[in-house]
Parts: sequence; structure tokens; C-alpha cells
Amino acid sequence: MTRLVDVPAQFDDRSFEQFAGAYAEAAKDAERLLFDAHAAEWASPYGLVGLLAAGQAARGAGSPDRPLLTAPTHAEVLTYWTRAGFFREAAELFEIHGKLPRVKPAEQSDVLLPVTPVRAAEDVHAVVSNIQQRASAILASELGLDPKATMGFAMALSEACQNIVEHAGTGGWVAVQAYHWRRKLARRVVMIAVADAGVGFRHSLEPTQSKRFGARWSDAAALEAALFQGVSRFRDPGRGQGLAGIRRYLARWDGKIAIRSGTARIAIVPRWDDDVPLKDGLPAFPGAQVLIIIPEQGSTTP
Amino acid sequence: MIQHIDVHAVLQESVSGVYTDLVTRPTGRVVRERIERAMATSRDAVTVARIDFTGVGCIDYSCADEIVAKLLRDRRAVVVLSGISDGHREAIEPVLAGHGLAALIERRDGSGELEALGAPEAAAALLHELVARRLVVRTAVGTIALTLA
Repeated sequence: MTRLVDVPAQFDDRSFEQFAGAYAEAAKDAERLLFDAHAAEWASPYGLVGLLAAGQAARGAGSPDRPLLTAPTHAEVLTYWTRAGFFREAAELFEIHGKLPRVKPAEQSDVLLPVTPVRAAEDVHAVVSNIQQRASAILASELGLDPKATMGFAMALSEACQNIVEHAGTGGWVAVQAYHWRRKLARRVVMIAVADAGVGFRHSLEPTQSKRFGARWSDAAALEAALFQGVSRFRDPGRGQGLAGIRRYLARWDGKIAIRSGTARIAIVPRWDDDVPLKDGLPAFPGAQVLIIIPEQGSTTP
Repeated sequence: MIQHIDVHAVLQESVSGVYTDLVTRPTGRVVRERIERAMATSRDAVTVARIDFTGVGCIDYSCADEIVAKLLRDRRAVVVLSGISDGHREAIEPVLAGHGLAALIERRDGSGELEALGAPEAAAALLHELVARRLVVRTAVGTIALTLA
């Protein structure tokens, strides 16, 4: 029997909870899953890498068959997903139904980094190397960031990707895109989205942190410990620098970070956003999903 | 004598030659171990190593910790960082401050003048110690310079 997971028509970090709920319900009995994206009208980088993480989890969940994916039917959506590099990665995870256009992943566009696999340190090198040249023009000219901010951006991206390599126990994906964010700001933003279907923060930190928290130990506690206390599963005192560094960078540029892992989601919410700092009791979703948004500089009053 | 270590060259030998960025812990570890091996070859009573980051693109926090903080923590040598860009500082400074460490940085203007970067108390203690050991001097105009060439 095949279980259906609807992909939201507008698939971003907000509608991800709807998707995660459908995934958690459908994945209960380890049947083959069908991810239905035929009605998709738009997906943010977060939606795209999140869908890949779901496919990765579904492949490892017990069903001998690859999960199914029905591709969007809107030609423009299909073209965008292809240019964003989604189908190149999805082809390894899903049995895809639908006619895919023959377009190459974007090289000159707002897609600063197409959906890119991150499995090892070498991949992080490639990501950082690729992003710097393409991002510098966008960050400086369109977002009004100091040209020096490009290196900080690359650092933040590197650390976000390293979370996969060091903690997930499996591979994941990263995507970076600039776009005009009408919903919140009516101005341009750059979004970094990173997702994996690995062990998640709670499992990664459990050996070193769970005793300290006792009965309070949970996905939410693990996320708080990682993001705000800089704890790491490694006992090396220098560990935990990555998320702290990302926080510093975002504080300087009025950016946002949200991390979802397991049944919780934590966010550092800038004044231009109305997100919730901590949500617990969400539908269980494997691994970790990280969202970083850097807005165009100037007044960011919503 | 001051030992000169070209980090960009070490990086090129350590990972694929096409990358110029010091990112990821594994890369940092390999680069640091090579630097430590190079420093171990010094026969001077006091090793002063000028670690030159010229040509290095981005340094992330993990590499700043794995290379700079660990080299300083081990205290095998007096370390002077050179070729440090503003972007490099952005990664190195908070990492050092977090560890309560400080490093000497050579200004990029060619003057040879030094400044201490990192935790303020550690920076003051480092300068005091190096002046006492006569490895650096305070100049007439209030700057700091190495006594060795």
C-alpha cells in the first residue's frame, strides 16, 4: 500500500509543519510513500531541501521501494525546481513521475547556490568556494551589505553545512537563493537552507548533555543548548563555535536563524519577523533543518 | 630567527589544490598538524613563528579554533599572525576571546608593527610577557615590534 504525503502549494518554512505532519502520519507503518507535488506553485529553498530530506528518510524507513514523487504540473514551477538543482538530487531518492524539462541548474540567476549535496568536508569546501564570487555582488549591491560581509556570509554557510558533516550521521543538502520577500519585508533577502534526515540534535547531543537536563531533556532542550549555550557533542572546549559565529553574524546584519529538529523548532527572531522563538510538540521529522535569512539593509520595519 | 610558515601553501598541500579557503574542522586539523611539524624543526631556543595567511580566502570559526586557538593553547612557540584580512579577523577574534587567548598580529601596512588580538586581559598579559622576554619592544611612538628579524 502506498501512503500519500501532500506537498503544500506554497512550500516554505511556514507550510513545512503541514508537510511534516503529513509525513509523520504517512510514515507510521513503513509503507511506500508518494510525495504529491503536482499542485505546487512555489517552493522556497527550505521547502526544496526539506523535501529531499523527507525522501532520504523515506528511503531508509524500511520500504524496499524508493518513494514516489509526482512533479509539479505548472511549467514555470517545474522549470524553477529544475534550475534550482532539485531534480538532479531527487532522481537518486525518488521514483519521479512527470515530465521534467531539459534545463541546466542555474548558473546566472538569483539561485546563488543550487541544491547541493553535503556529505563530507570536501563538499563544504566546494560550497564555500562556489558561493563567494556569486554572492558578493548580490550581498553588496542588492542587499546593501558591506563588501566585507561576504566573508562572514561564507563563514556562516560553512558552519551551517558542517553541522551535517559532523552531526547528522548522513548526508544532506544546502541551497542559497536571493529573492524579493513580499510576505514579510517587501524587500530582498538572501536565504540559506540546509536540511538532512540524520540523527538530529537531540540524538547527537544526548551522550554529553542529557544527564545535565534530566527529565527536561528533549528536542527543544537540545536545540536551546546548541544554539544558545554553544554546547557540542564533542568534549573539545573549542567546539560549539559554529552556531555562535552564525548568531554573531546574524545579529550584525539583522538576520534570522531557525533550526528545526525532531519535534521542536527554535528561532532567533529579528524585529522584522513575527516567528515564535521556540515551538515544541511539532510533528516528528527526522534530522535537522536550518533556515538563515539575511535581509536587505536599511529600515527593516515590517 | 623567525620561522615563516605560508598557510596558503600548507592548505594547498593539505587539501585539493583548487581551494583557497580554510574551512571545516578536518581541514583545520590537517593544516595545524603540518604547521606544528614545521615548527618542530626549529632549532632555536625560542621559536617565533610568523604564520602568514596571505592568499587564504575565507577562514571559518571551526578552522580559526582548530588552527589558531590550538596553536596558541599549546604554547610551543611565540606565534605572530600575518597577512590577516578583516574577514580573517572576524573569525579569529571571537574564537580567541572565547578561549581567553590572545595572539600577536602583524599589521598589513608593511610597517612591521604588531597588535594583540583576542581577550583584552590575555592580550595585555601576552604583551607584558613578550616585552619581559625581550622578544618584542615598545617603540618610541607607542607601537610594538618584534626584536628578531
